[in-house]
Amino acid sequence: MKIKSAMYSALILGLSVGVPALAHHGSTAYDTTKVVTFKGITVTKFVWASPHVIITFDAKDDQGTMKQWTAEAGTPQTLQLSGWSKSSVKVGDKLDVYLYQSKTGNPVGRLSKIVLADGSELKDSALGYDKNP
Amino acid sequence: MRRSVLNSGAITVAAVFPVIFSLHAAAQEPAPKAAKETRPLTLYQKLERANATGGPAPRRDVTGFWTGPLTPKLGPAPEMTPAGQAQFKRNKPDIFSASTNDPWATCDPLGVPRTMTTETRGVAFANMPNHIVILTQYQKIWRAVWMDGRELPKNIGAKGGPQPIWYGYSVGHWDGDYTLVVNTAGVDDSTWLDRRGYPHSPDMRVEERFTRVNHDVLEVTVTVDDPKYYTKPFALATSRFRWIPEQEDEEQLCVPSEAIEYRKMVVVPAGQDQAQGKK
Repeated sequence: MKIKSAMYSALILGLSVGVPALAHHGSTAYDTTKVVTFKGITVTKFVWASPHVIITFDAKDDQGTMKQWTAEAGTPQTLQLSGWSKSSVKVGDKLDVYLYQSKTGNPVGRLSKIVLADGSELKDSALGYDKNP
Repeated sequence: MRRSVLNSGAITVAAVFPVIFSLHAAAQEPAPKAAKETRPLTLYQKLERANATGGPAPRRDVTGFWTGPLTPKLGPAPEMTPAGQAQFKRNKPDIFSASTNDPWATCDPLGVPRTMTTETRGVAFANMPNHIVILTQYQKIWRAVWMDGRELPKNIGAKGGPQPIWYGYSVGHWDGDYTLVVNTAGVDDSTWLDRRGYPHSPDMRVEERFTRVNHDVLEVTVTVDDPKYYTKPFALATSRFRWIPEQEDEEQLCVPSEAIEYRKMVVVPAGQDQAQGKK
């Protein structure tokens, strides 16, 4: 893995998406105007649990400091509808992670989606979609 | 609140502006396409859309597994007494806030009526000798409702009487052939009415009316009568459950150790308090 590809400094874009009212499940804590992207990170923890599924990984910030990032997604029940399972992600897996970072600037965010090593995508049940049923 | 997320169009795309602003190598990669996909429907949403009746309702029978919305339709803010207002101020809702004191945040029992206002994806009814048992999918809770005509105990909390308990004491009867009426008293007052943080006193009485409109539809109205905290009885919530065709339920548990870990890993660092503001 080329280090810079996994660095926070390599985040590539802002994706301005209006997500005004995600009161449920606390998504208002996140800056949903901008997707922060991490390429080729290594999963350090995968928690398949209520209330929300969690993925952690290490990545450098733009000062080059390694930080542990925590990304939350929806509930196991709703993520299953989007194709997730308890075995979708394992410690050591290489992923691309797209998340909305906390407005605090802390290394924590709400997932938009992940891309697995085989190229398949898993979307978050809340912020991975922009259209309601 | 699921309603607001999934049903009301709360997530709308105001604008999609891919803006590449990094100077790093990765910036040469194409911006991810804006998601245009629609979120998958839940079983409940599918059944709501299909809107089947399944034929007429059977007489005096609600047994079976039903699915509902995550959160029912909650009524307007009830008018509180000064004592009710004082307690309401002490309750800090939002389990995704670091400073909440919602008992739900640590998976404490939801009690009655909150079990019918929070995480209501699944409910079931079963007949037992002299009882109907209400089974709540969330937390795998059961509530035994006496159907033998007895009245609720009158000396709850008194010395020698039954003491307030998490899910209270329930009796039921049929109002006509299609409405099951469940009356509950003696609920521990550390439980809340709903996620908004409305409190109740130990004297609260709850009435749940389950009306089987047809084979596939079960409507519920929850009414709270608590003169200590509220100026008059009020409709707390209304909801509609749908018959599950396969009669399969789902496991859905709030696990204390997981909830505590989630709070440490996500809720606190994400700064939910600053974002959510006051209730």
